[in-house]
Amino acid sequence: MTRVKEFNLPDLGEGLTEGEILKWLVQVGDTIALNQPIVEVETAKAAVEIPAKWAGQVTRIFHPEGTTVEVGAPIIAIDTDPGSGALPAPSAASLAAVDVAGDAPVEPGLIGGPAPGGRTAVLVGYGPKTTVAKRRPRSAGAPVVPDEPAPVVEVVAPVAPPPAVAAPAGGAVLAKPPVRKLARDLGVDLTGLTGTGPNGSISRDDVLAATTAPAAVATKPAVGREERIPVKGVRKLTAENMVASAFTAPHVTEFLTVDVTRSMKALDRLKAHRDWKDVRVSPLLLVAKAVLLAVKRHPMVNSTWAGEEIVVKHYVNLGIAAATQRGLIVPNVKDAQELTTRELADALTALVSTAREGRTPPADMTGGTFTITSVGVFGVDSGTPILPPGESAILVFGAVREQPWVHKGKIKVRQVTTLGLSFDHRIIDGELGSKFLRDVGAFLEDPEGALLAWS
Amino acid sequence: MAETLTIGKALNTGLRRAMERDPKVLIMGEDVGKLGGVFRITDGLQKDFGDDRVIDTPLAESGIIGTAVGLAIRGYRPVCEIQFDGFVYPAYDQIVSQVAKMHYRSKGKVSLPMVIRIPFGGGIGAVEHHSESPEAYFAHTAGLKVVSCSNPDDAYWMIQQSIESDDPIIFLEPKRRYWEKGQVNVDSASLPLHNARVTRPGRDATVIAYGPMVRTALDAASAAAEEGREIEVIDLRSLSPLDMAPVYASVRRTGRAVVVHEAPVNLGLGSELAARITEECFYSLESPVLRVGGFDTPYPAARIEEEYLPDLDRVLDAVDRSFGF
Repeated sequence: MTRVKEFNLPDLGEGLTEGEILKWLVQVGDTIALNQPIVEVETAKAAVEIPAKWAGQVTRIFHPEGTTVEVGAPIIAIDTDPGSGALPAPSAASLAAVDVAGDAPVEPGLIGGPAPGGRTAVLVGYGPKTTVAKRRPRSAGAPVVPDEPAPVVEVVAPVAPPPAVAAPAGGAVLAKPPVRKLARDLGVDLTGLTGTGPNGSISRDDVLAATTAPAAVATKPAVGREERIPVKGVRKLTAENMVASAFTAPHVTEFLTVDVTRSMKALDRLKAHRDWKDVRVSPLLLVAKAVLLAVKRHPMVNSTWAGEEIVVKHYVNLGIAAATQRGLIVPNVKDAQELTTRELADALTALVSTAREGRTPPADMTGGTFTITSVGVFGVDSGTPILPPGESAILVFGAVREQPWVHKGKIKVRQVTTLGLSFDHRIIDGELGSKFLRDVGAFLEDPEGALLAWS
Repeated sequence: MAETLTIGKALNTGLRRAMERDPKVLIMGEDVGKLGGVFRITDGLQKDFGDDRVIDTPLAESGIIGTAVGLAIRGYRPVCEIQFDGFVYPAYDQIVSQVAKMHYRSKGKVSLPMVIRIPFGGGIGAVEHHSESPEAYFAHTAGLKVVSCSNPDDAYWMIQQSIESDDPIIFLEPKRRYWEKGQVNVDSASLPLHNARVTRPGRDATVIAYGPMVRTALDAASAAAEEGREIEVIDLRSLSPLDMAPVYASVRRTGRAVVVHEAPVNLGLGSELAARITEECFYSLESPVLRVGGFDTPYPAARIEEEYLPDLDRVLDAVDRSFGF
């Protein structure tokens, strides 16, 4: 810091530009104290005494009494440390640089010009500062919402600054602020809701409804390469049944290809019979009849594994697997063993048409003991069906095709089909399963003969 | 034609245009003549228009306004300068009891086409009485219109529009911004006197300001943009009457509003704005309307005024708080 300081004529009023030196109260060489009156100055408003800004020794007085001095011009120089020896010879540069940093003058007449500290010079005050559009560095963990009471938690680690919050969607969603709060608390996205409140705003009820029916949002079809279908209803039941059966009953499947030409001819004769005029008949009828007769000959096929014991049923609730719009269902004809062929035909027709209409009563779908599944209607030959839970065997009946077949020693074109039988090996061994399947096949190869022989 | 002027020079030029256009326009105030005003707003006008049209008055604000009321009744259009905001209080009785009421009192027969110019607000490091923001006192008074310019173009046009108005107008000048430069279109005004303006568009939050705080709000918006947040800045321009339509439209889009002024928050303009926005945009609000302003203390000493005045950081802190709801 410079030892010798120059004191400039201050603006003694507001908006004053100059003052007259009336009387010097000190002389060069005087030792003065801080705030000691040094000069009397008259301005346009009043005559005032100016106190010393620094203590020290007066080294120079710039203007004689009677001079009018502009505001900001130096009037007196003071050596602030006269005890420390002679003054070094002042260089021109040091004179020019006197105390610019601390109390540089506001140049008179240059209101609006530069002033120290990046300010603009004014008549009254330090002048306005120039600012920059830069945010100050924020302290770590500064609370974004100061209204919340400070948590009584000792901070042991520096907290990361709060992340910038995502921009809102804009004014599209209308909701009362309290409803927004509710939705946020419940985790409901307002943008997905339709408002039923005032002005189409989302009401409290809309938010609550959204929380009780989340599936409505979840099952929105995804546009793209995948579709998500909720598992429910028939599909869910089918899945549960198939899994339960496949992983509890050890399945075995056997196949038998048979010539059913005689059965098809028998069906034609049946259709032509006057008692059967209005009856709808299909190969399924003869398969069902074959199964019923074969069950009679091999009752163990119509049984249930019940852990400690095997339940052999002396009745046949004959299930027919039907493909419907709602999925696979297996209604059954109760006590099918008691029915005449004609009654059986009627029962099967009713069963299938009811199923196709989706009106099968739940009672028709429970209590089955043996099931026939006809994959022939889909144009395929056979398969390895999974047992309905609680049943020990299921017969699969494939498509009836004209094929070359050795018939009475000659190759003939015959109507041929493939039968398959899946059975529960816990109850049915290969021998029993084979005998049963062979009997069904024998009936279909020669229905009249089998009827005469077995019933 | 566009010219680059400071706000101070734009006001000076606007006053000159008005005086050229209408010989009934008078300027009166302390040091407005020979000195040209402490901020040089009336610089050169006495020299060019004479000391009977640019009148140096005694240091008596009540007298300045009272005299102007009489002149206005007689058909003049006085433009009074109150040297500093804190000096207006001696004239407050004249303004509230006479200026605001004459038109009503006379069943509309007598109008007072006068302008009261007040450099207002802080930030220049001045002493007591020199940095106040008294706008709410006037905006609260029926019968007065209150406007504030924030940039040179508005300064140039709003002072002329105010002088042309047949109603008395309190014209608040952002004294710390007098030396900020900008383009002035001297051919035509961009807006009527009492309209607000969206000064900077943005979609995330609305910051509403006027006078000296518009610059602060714009700086805040620039800083926020660097952080990826788009702030819409609205310059109210007219404090009474308020032009709320652009404010409502903006808040309905952004859902968030922050009002900024230098005046203390308690019962300031921000309170009225918050109430109106809440009434009109209730269903769109993502958070309460927040206010940023001076503290409820007398204006502090110059050395600590930067702690008192709302700055860019206080504005952005409020925006952060808004996003915390």
